Amino acid sequence: MKTKILLLLIFPILWSCSSDDSDEYQNIPIDFQIPSNFPAANYNFANNPLTEKGFELGKKLFYDGRLSSDGIVSCGFCHIQEDAFTHHGHTFSHGVGDAIGTRNAPPIQNMVFQTTFMWDGATTHLDLQPIIPFTSEIEMHGNFENAINMMKNDAAYKKLYKQAFSNGEINSENMLKALAQFQILLVSSNSRFDKYRRNEQGGNFTADELDGYTIFNQKCASCHATDIFTDNSFRNNGLPVNPSINDVGRYRVTELPQDMNKFKVPSLRNIEKTAPYMHDGRFFTLEAVLDHYSSGVVNSTTLDASLNNSGVLGISLSSSEKTKLIAFLKTLTDNEFLTNPKFAEY
Amino acid sequence: MKFQLKNIVAVMAMALAFTSCSNDDDNNDSVTGEGSLKIEFDNVYGSADFAANTAYTNSNGEIIKANKVKYIVSNIVLTKADGTTYTVPKTESYFIIDELTPASTLLTIPNVPAGNYKSISYGIGVDKAQFDLGATGQGNFLTTAQNAGMMWSWSAGYKFVAFEGTFTSSTVTTDTNFKLHTGQTGTDYNYATISINFPDNALVRTNITPQVHIMADLKHLLDGTNKINLSEGATIMGGSKLALATANLANMFEVHHVHND
Repeated sequence: MKTKILLLLIFPILWSCSSDDSDEYQNIPIDFQIPSNFPAANYNFANNPLTEKGFELGKKLFYDGRLSSDGIVSCGFCHIQEDAFTHHGHTFSHGVGDAIGTRNAPPIQNMVFQTTFMWDGATTHLDLQPIIPFTSEIEMHGNFENAINMMKNDAAYKKLYKQAFSNGEINSENMLKALAQFQILLVSSNSRFDKYRRNEQGGNFTADELDGYTIFNQKCASCHATDIFTDNSFRNNGLPVNPSINDVGRYRVTELPQDMNKFKVPSLRNIEKTAPYMHDGRFFTLEAVLDHYSSGVVNSTTLDASLNNSGVLGISLSSSEKTKLIAFLKTLTDNEFLTNPKFAEY
Repeated sequence: MKFQLKNIVAVMAMALAFTSCSNDDDNNDSVTGEGSLKIEFDNVYGSADFAANTAYTNSNGEIIKANKVKYIVSNIVLTKADGTTYTVPKTESYFIIDELTPASTLLTIPNVPAGNYKSISYGIGVDKAQFDLGATGQGNFLTTAQNAGMMWSWSAGYKFVAFEGTFTSSTVTTDTNFKLHTGQTGTDYNYATISINFPDNALVRTNITPQVHIMADLKHLLDGTNKINLSEGATIMGGSKLALATANLANMFEVHHVHND
């Protein structure tokens, strides 16, 4: 009982000391360092400078189900940190009203190093990307006006917007900027692979992993390029079209026949944690993915040229090569990222 | 015929007389301060005033009845008789014109430097420069656009023009829905810039708010320089037809008259 009273006395003192109490703009910049093995960032930071409070607001938004029409489905509902911000085990995710989508939730990591977003590249600006899941009837089915009204009546949001932005306004611009700040800082760059690439401590590969990396560079890296593991292009990798969905892929955006059934080349970071695989989550294991490339590729007019070698389809891979490739791919798992409390919901 | 010609000559003479009279007032130097300008977007269809759910026939024989007409007007620039311009501040220069919301069809532009204005330019849609900034500079326009149904949620972009209704044709004999939504696609940006002259100068003064009456002929959307047949496909939200519809916007607008009351 005594301790309780003591705590009650101490708590307000701590509270008032904290700068969190202020309603003023808090320009505490975040020094965003690009890992030395990464490509350039694709973002104009001058338009949305990263600050501690901007990030904090973005994280709050990311995990707030009240932004959705049913008050439950947040961004973090389908993008779970320990699964590299994917919806582990879900071929398709369920949004509000138990609506089911037709594409597998992609990971959110290293976004600022990419130039196109969504499986079909429907958007090219990181700020605007959240509009798609936020407003989609089968995802969050959110409405900006409702969300803004909710936040304007929420003491924590009222304070955070003032602390995060010099104009302090609760509006769609600042909401998207905060979400962008959170997503920008979701950088996975400390896997064993990264340490190997940067000659850092802990960057040791086994013989199999090293062989796997060599095979990867020979047979996979033309599309899964750079240390981000995507060239940001759209390609048809020879998956037989699922007739019950008939996803046209990139064609939806361009309506160009040459884009039929093409999807964005996904990054492979944390691939061990992001099953199921492919745009429609059809493969549950990495073995199944490699089996597709070695023996499951089907021909079509838009099949990627790299998968059609004078009529021989796919990528030739022996079973020992597959084992080594998977050993290599598992070096891309970045536990520091997957467990970083800074990104965690609770 | 002769009589008509006479009339035309008379009108022209009068117009000339008025023009020369008003020229005397064109002394921009003596005009100071700021005023407002009103811009009315009056939707018409060919030679008739536009009304929702009313049948209009296109040159290809298709009969259309529209129930939604909305477009984004942006980046208004006013040009004075002496060639100098006034650019409405970018963040205050995005509007959604909605035929079914009369108040939205009359824009009031405040803080316009007093002067005699001869022309206007504006965009239909949200310009690429703005879009490429991401959230920056959007203020709350995304909210406004979503409320108006002018957001393309699947691609995180704006609908620049939304024109919807039903149609029939020789091959499509029962009322069938059509939708034309223009906006950015993977291949075209589809923003249009419109520049039109005023028949008379708009005299912005501290105590005069001119009203520019713009006729927007919706017939041009499908039945303009480029002909878009709804019978071939009545849901037009992407692909090359959006570029055709966007090109049609160039001839859709004209300033019918200017009130200087």
